Amino acid sequence: MSESDLAIMKREMMQSYIWLKTADGSIQRVEQEIAMFFPMICQEVVYKGVGTSKNHAISLPQQVNQAVFSLILDYCRFHKVPGRSNKERKSYDQKFIRMDSKMLRELASAADSLQLKPLVDLTCRTLARTIEGKPLEEIREILNLPDDLTEEEKLEPLKNTMDDPGIRLLNRLNAKKRKELKERERLKNVEVEEHAVERSVDDLISFINGGDPKVVKTSKGKKKNKKKKNKKIVSSNDKEGAEDFHDKESHDLHSKQQGVEETGSGIREVEVANLPSTEDDIFTPKSWSEDGYIDDEIDPVMKEMLDREIEDFARRLNSNWVRSRGQERRPVHFSMNGNGTIRRHIGYNLDVIM
Amino acid sequence: MNNLPEDCIAKILSLTTPRDVCRSSAVSRCFRSAADTDHVWNHFLPSEFPEGFRAPEGLPTKKHLFFSLVHNPLLLHGSQLSFSLERSTGNKCYMMAARALNITWGHDQRYWQWISLPDARFKEVAALKMVWWLDITGKININLLSDDTLYAAYLVFKWNLDPYGFRQPVEASLVLAGTEHDDVQPSMVSLMQNPGSEQGQHAELRSDDWYEVELGQFFKRRGDMGEIEMSLKETKRPFEKKGLIVHGIEIRPVLP
Repeated sequence: MSESDLAIMKREMMQSYIWLKTADGSIQRVEQEIAMFFPMICQEVVYKGVGTSKNHAISLPQQVNQAVFSLILDYCRFHKVPGRSNKERKSYDQKFIRMDSKMLRELASAADSLQLKPLVDLTCRTLARTIEGKPLEEIREILNLPDDLTEEEKLEPLKNTMDDPGIRLLNRLNAKKRKELKERERLKNVEVEEHAVERSVDDLISFINGGDPKVVKTSKGKKKNKKKKNKKIVSSNDKEGAEDFHDKESHDLHSKQQGVEETGSGIREVEVANLPSTEDDIFTPKSWSEDGYIDDEIDPVMKEMLDREIEDFARRLNSNWVRSRGQERRPVHFSMNGNGTIRRHIGYNLDVIM
Repeated sequence: MNNLPEDCIAKILSLTTPRDVCRSSAVSRCFRSAADTDHVWNHFLPSEFPEGFRAPEGLPTKKHLFFSLVHNPLLLHGSQLSFSLERSTGNKCYMMAARALNITWGHDQRYWQWISLPDARFKEVAALKMVWWLDITGKININLLSDDTLYAAYLVFKWNLDPYGFRQPVEASLVLAGTEHDDVQPSMVSLMQNPGSEQGQHAELRSDDWYEVELGQFFKRRGDMGEIEMSLKETKRPFEKKGLIVHGIEIRPVLP
C-alpha cells in the first residue's frame, strides 16, 4: 500500500467518531480509537450497530456524567499514545488523581462501570491510601458511606477470633460495653450520679477530697493516637475507701502508684463484673459513643499483655488486698517494645508506656 | 449516584492492610460485607507459600485461612520449621526448631539433652547441661520470606532451675549470603534481662512465656537469594555455661 493510501486511511480512521450520550443527557462525539477502549462501547458498536450517528448515540452507564466522562477521555487520550515512557505515565497519573474524594469516587464508579481497569486501579489505590489509618468517621466521609450499623452490631464479636488473646480481650471489652449500654438504659431515670458523664480532672479531685467513698478509676488508651480512652469504674463502698486516682493529666499526683493502678483498674473491671452489688457503676466516656468502636485505639499485642497482667495481678492483689491498702505497694511496671514483647521493670516512677 | 459499587470497595480494602480492614468493620454495613470477601483476604495472603505448605482443612473463607495462619503456626518440613503470618501485614514468619539448628556438642549427651516440653511448639527442645564451647547456628533460605520487608531473627529460649555462666554478654551475629564471615562484627547481647544496662540487646519476655534475644536484622528485597546464617556464641570465656533451654530461632518482620 502506498504511503498516500496509508495517510488517507489514517485520516479516515481518525475522522471516525462514535456518538455517546452521558448519564446527564449530553451528547458527545468521541474518536473511534478512544471509544473502542471501552469494552462495552465496542460491544454496542459491533453487535448492535449503534453509535454511528447523533440520533443513535450509545447511552453510557448512569455513573458516567459529562464532567467525569471528560476526565476519563483525557486519561485515555494521554495513555493511548504509544511513545510515552513509564515515568511520564506515572507522573501524569499522579497529577491526574489530584482531586477531592467526591470526584475520585465518581471517577472510580464510572471507570468501574465502563470496565476501564487501569483507571479503576488508579482511583482505588488513591482512595486506599487516603483511608489508611483514618478514624471511622473520616472513612465514612471519604467514601460516602452511611453509618448504618446499630450500636449492637458494631460491638459484635469480631468473627476473626481464632485463639487470639487480643481479640478475646476485645470481645470481653465489647461485652462489657454492651452491658454498660444496658445498664445505662436501665439506670437512666435514677437520680444518682450514675449517668455517663465525662468528668474533668478538677471535678474528680474535689470528689475524692470530699471524702466520698465512691471511687473513680481510669486507664489509659493507646499512646499512638494520643486519644484518651477513659474507662472509669466506680467500685463499691465495702471494698475500699478513697483510693488514688489518675488519668493522663494527673501523672504527677500519684506517679508511684501508677503501675499498680494501671493494672489495678483492669482487675477492678473483672471484680466488678462479678459482684452483684448494685452500687457498681460504669461511666462511659463520650469518646466511645462517638466512635462506637473500641478496637480502634488498642493494639492487639497490648491487649494480650493486659490479659496477662490482669491475671497476674488478680492473684497478687487478691492476696495482698486488705493488708496493703494504704501501705506502699511495690509497683510492677510493664513497657512495650517495638516488636511487641514485654519488658518487666521493677522500679519506681516509670511511666507505663502503652 | 454517589455510591461506590461493592467491588470497588473491596478493591480499595485489598489495597490497605489487614489491620485497617479489621478496624474498619464498624464503618458501615456494605463496608463490612466487602471487608469479608475472599477477594480482599486473598490479597493479604502470601502470593507464594513455602514448600510443603498445605492449608488446614475446614476453613470456609480466605479470611479464616489468614487468621488461622496468624494464630496457629503451621509445621513444615518434618516439623522442624513453623510457618505463620504477621497479623498486621500478612508477611511470612518462620521459626526453626532447635533440632534444625547446628548446636556444637549438641549430639553429646554429656553436654546437651533433648527434652520435650508441653509449652514448646516443636517435639524437642535442647537443654544445656554444661558446655564450655557454646555455639548455636541456624540457616534459612532468604527466598522463603516476604519481599520488601525488614526482618529480625531471635533466639527463643528459657532457663532451667539454675542457669550459670550467662551473666556476661554473648556474641550474636547475622550474616547474609555472599558476605564474608570475617567482615561481620558480631554484636554483644545479654541473655539476661538487665534493666538499666542499655548497652546492646538484651533478652525480652515473650507472650508465650519464653524469652528471646535479637540476633540481628536484615532487609529482604525482591529477588534476594541465598542463605542467612544466624548464630549465638560464647567461646571465649574459660568457664562453663549451664541451664539454657533452646526452643529455636524465630524470624519475623520488624514492626514500625
